[in-house]
Amino acid sequence: MLWNSVYNEFIKITAKPRSYLGLLAITVLVGVILFALKVDGKSMISFVTSSFEQTLSFEGELLNGNLVAFIVLQMLIIHIPLLVALVTGDLVSGEAASGTIRMLLTKPISRTQVLLSKFIAGAVYTLCLIIWLGIMAVIIGKLLFGNGDLMVLNSDGLVILQEQDVNWRYLGGFAVAFLALLTVSTLSICLSCFSSNSIGPIVLTMAIIILFTIIGTLDVQLFDSIRPYLFTTHMASWRSFFEEPLPTADIIKSVIILLAHQVLLIGLALYQFNKKDITS
Amino acid sequence: MPEKIIEVQQLAKRFGTFQAVKEVNLTVYKGDVYGFLGPNGAGKSTTIRCLLSLIRPDQGQIRLFGQSLAAHRNAILSKTGSIIEKPDFYKYLSAYQNLAIFSRISGANVSRKEIEAMLDFVGLAGREQDKVAGFSHGMKQRLGIAQTLLHQPELIILDEPTTGLDPQGIIDIRNLILRLRDEQGKTVLLSSHLLAEMELIANRMVIINKGKTVVEGEVSNLLNAEELVVQLEIDHVPAAKQWIESHMPKVEIISTTANHLELAIPKSRLPELNKSLVEQGFQIYAIESKRKLEDYFIKMLQADVVE
Amino acid sequence: MLRLLTLIFLGWMPLQLLAQDGTAQLQQLMAKWNLVKDYTVQVNIRSEIPLIKSFPVKATLYFKQKDQFRMVSKGIAILPKQNFNELPKFLQQKDRYTALITGSELIQNQKTTIITVLPSDDSGDLVLLKVWIDSKTDLLLKSQTTTRSNGTISALYEYGSQRAVGLPDKMIFTVEVKKFKIPKGLATDINRSSSPDAAKPTPKNGKITISFADYQINKGIKDEIFRK
Repeated sequence: MLWNSVYNEFIKITAKPRSYLGLLAITVLVGVILFALKVDGKSMISFVTSSFEQTLSFEGELLNGNLVAFIVLQMLIIHIPLLVALVTGDLVSGEAASGTIRMLLTKPISRTQVLLSKFIAGAVYTLCLIIWLGIMAVIIGKLLFGNGDLMVLNSDGLVILQEQDVNWRYLGGFAVAFLALLTVSTLSICLSCFSSNSIGPIVLTMAIIILFTIIGTLDVQLFDSIRPYLFTTHMASWRSFFEEPLPTADIIKSVIILLAHQVLLIGLALYQFNKKDITS
Repeated sequence: MPEKIIEVQQLAKRFGTFQAVKEVNLTVYKGDVYGFLGPNGAGKSTTIRCLLSLIRPDQGQIRLFGQSLAAHRNAILSKTGSIIEKPDFYKYLSAYQNLAIFSRISGANVSRKEIEAMLDFVGLAGREQDKVAGFSHGMKQRLGIAQTLLHQPELIILDEPTTGLDPQGIIDIRNLILRLRDEQGKTVLLSSHLLAEMELIANRMVIINKGKTVVEGEVSNLLNAEELVVQLEIDHVPAAKQWIESHMPKVEIISTTANHLELAIPKSRLPELNKSLVEQGFQIYAIESKRKLEDYFIKMLQADVVE
Repeated sequence: MLRLLTLIFLGWMPLQLLAQDGTAQLQQLMAKWNLVKDYTVQVNIRSEIPLIKSFPVKATLYFKQKDQFRMVSKGIAILPKQNFNELPKFLQQKDRYTALITGSELIQNQKTTIITVLPSDDSGDLVLLKVWIDSKTDLLLKSQTTTRSNGTISALYEYGSQRAVGLPDKMIFTVEVKKFKIPKGLATDINRSSSPDAAKPTPKNGKITISFADYQINKGIKDEIFRK
């Protein structure tokens, strides 16, 4: 029955025009960035390397598909959560608002299965978004700009990764980015269980992300103890795959914290959804 | 003794400080068309939602098909179909898709052909691929009935199914319910404000008020089928009233207007009344049977208030 | 009197030495270089620069007289700003500098003559150039270039199979890195939970090692190769 319900959720998600907004937004945004880089990408690179170029010169094709994909990811990964929440935040509260939740919960399927099927469908939607982002950024980027070594500017300096060493890093980076966005999806579905209007959970999800991001960036001692456990702190963990040597311990830590958030949020959502009286 | 399909005992539910249901008891037997009556705010919807596990009661026992709802929810709901108030569907999906979605989680293997046949049955043939967003209220109600019956449930629970329907729609619902009972042996629990309709189709009923059961039983026993309430359109109403009161004391005058006389009379004495009044020179223009249930309902509620 | 003459002689000799023209040694160096009309060589570039992590990069170097130069690398190679083509190019222009022998030094166990090259144009970017030339073989063993914009870059030269024409097997550059800064805000990780180790002092110099192999000399190179 769970998989029947998951299939139902896929049908609902794919039938809603809103679901395609995210994909369209990614297409347009990435397209704009690719166009801008094609026109004036070299000056952006100069900004990054200017400090080094007093004594050094960089030979080879710096502006290549790998770098372009990195720049696209860097710019968009903070905006993608909104596109995720736009769909997943509506999965429960949207049904409550439209009244279909009544029809759904009088069927011989447990509330746990209903909610889990929504989590699964939300996860698949998030995966589709990140795959599309990957296709647009990496594949289209490489088609337009070619391949080459990847030059990345981290907080402790410049890292130049060899071309043959980049693809697996992108796979790992996208996997962790998916996990981070999955946490956003889980959060929005959890909030959706507490609301009976569509917009509330979406706005609240973004508000929480913004708040946690601000806490993460404020250099205040008071926040030092909680900062490592905020999920927003680990939303940029995908970048760790582009450091040398690979900070495996940091990556594992981020994965564990993100997974822990999801377990917690799913637990909370199941509790609320199961005890909720449907009076609408 | 017929099988008990629904058994509710000492049901109670509070929302915050408001006690929606205090003490509801009811029993529905197999094959019943069971009327669930009560004024607005009596607790009917809350009780029905408890039966369908949409609301968790604070106290009381609910058994369906002889099984505890709490312990056997899925098995029970696989044999139950329902419409709660107005049926809501996914507006962005077609009629067919909506039925397919609900049938997929109904516990029955419903084929494409069966869905199409059901749409035909409820009068929506040719509208399978149309989005529900474009459906009228009556069409949505029909689709709701299709959704309710698709998995061949044994028990059907309808909460205000005729809300918003035109007269033809109301008749269609009535006929459908009777067919379901007579031809398919289904059990129907039906709540409605249309007492006239209820009187025509329900064989058992309960009246609740302020969250409590007021009275429950066979409709014929409760309403005393041997007594009628009729309305006479007659000239010289005051004189007619006086004559009836003096010559037929067992006839109860309920009310009078300029041209009408409403009275309660044993069925067997109606021909005698008619003949006597005509012989007295009164002109009778019409004799109309009025709904007894309406009166009974109001009497019960008033009695409950007094108590 | 004799003492006075001795003192004058002893003082005059170093001055004479200091003032000795180094042009001849440079000419001998360039004569070797001029034997090469063109060459292609496979290079391996390894950079050890503070604040930069990179892997060795393979590239192909093309050179054609008198100053056509191109490096083709699949990856990103980091080279010193004043790279190996600038020195011969400058030294070819005899009227742009004055060369003076200013000493000698032992490098790689070889006695070298230090020639200081002073640009004639005070306003140009090049401030000072020093070369260490092996007295016996007329090979360039070390160079030091100081410019206003790029600071001082030193290079050590090692020779192997192509010593006869003055083409090295290895060049080791030392560059100043004290001006390197990380531009904030563009690519920094704003959510980084740990900050870079501020207590560790950043070295002031970085090293770039270029290894040359498989020289193809005077085989002819088409001009199209030098057009990107």
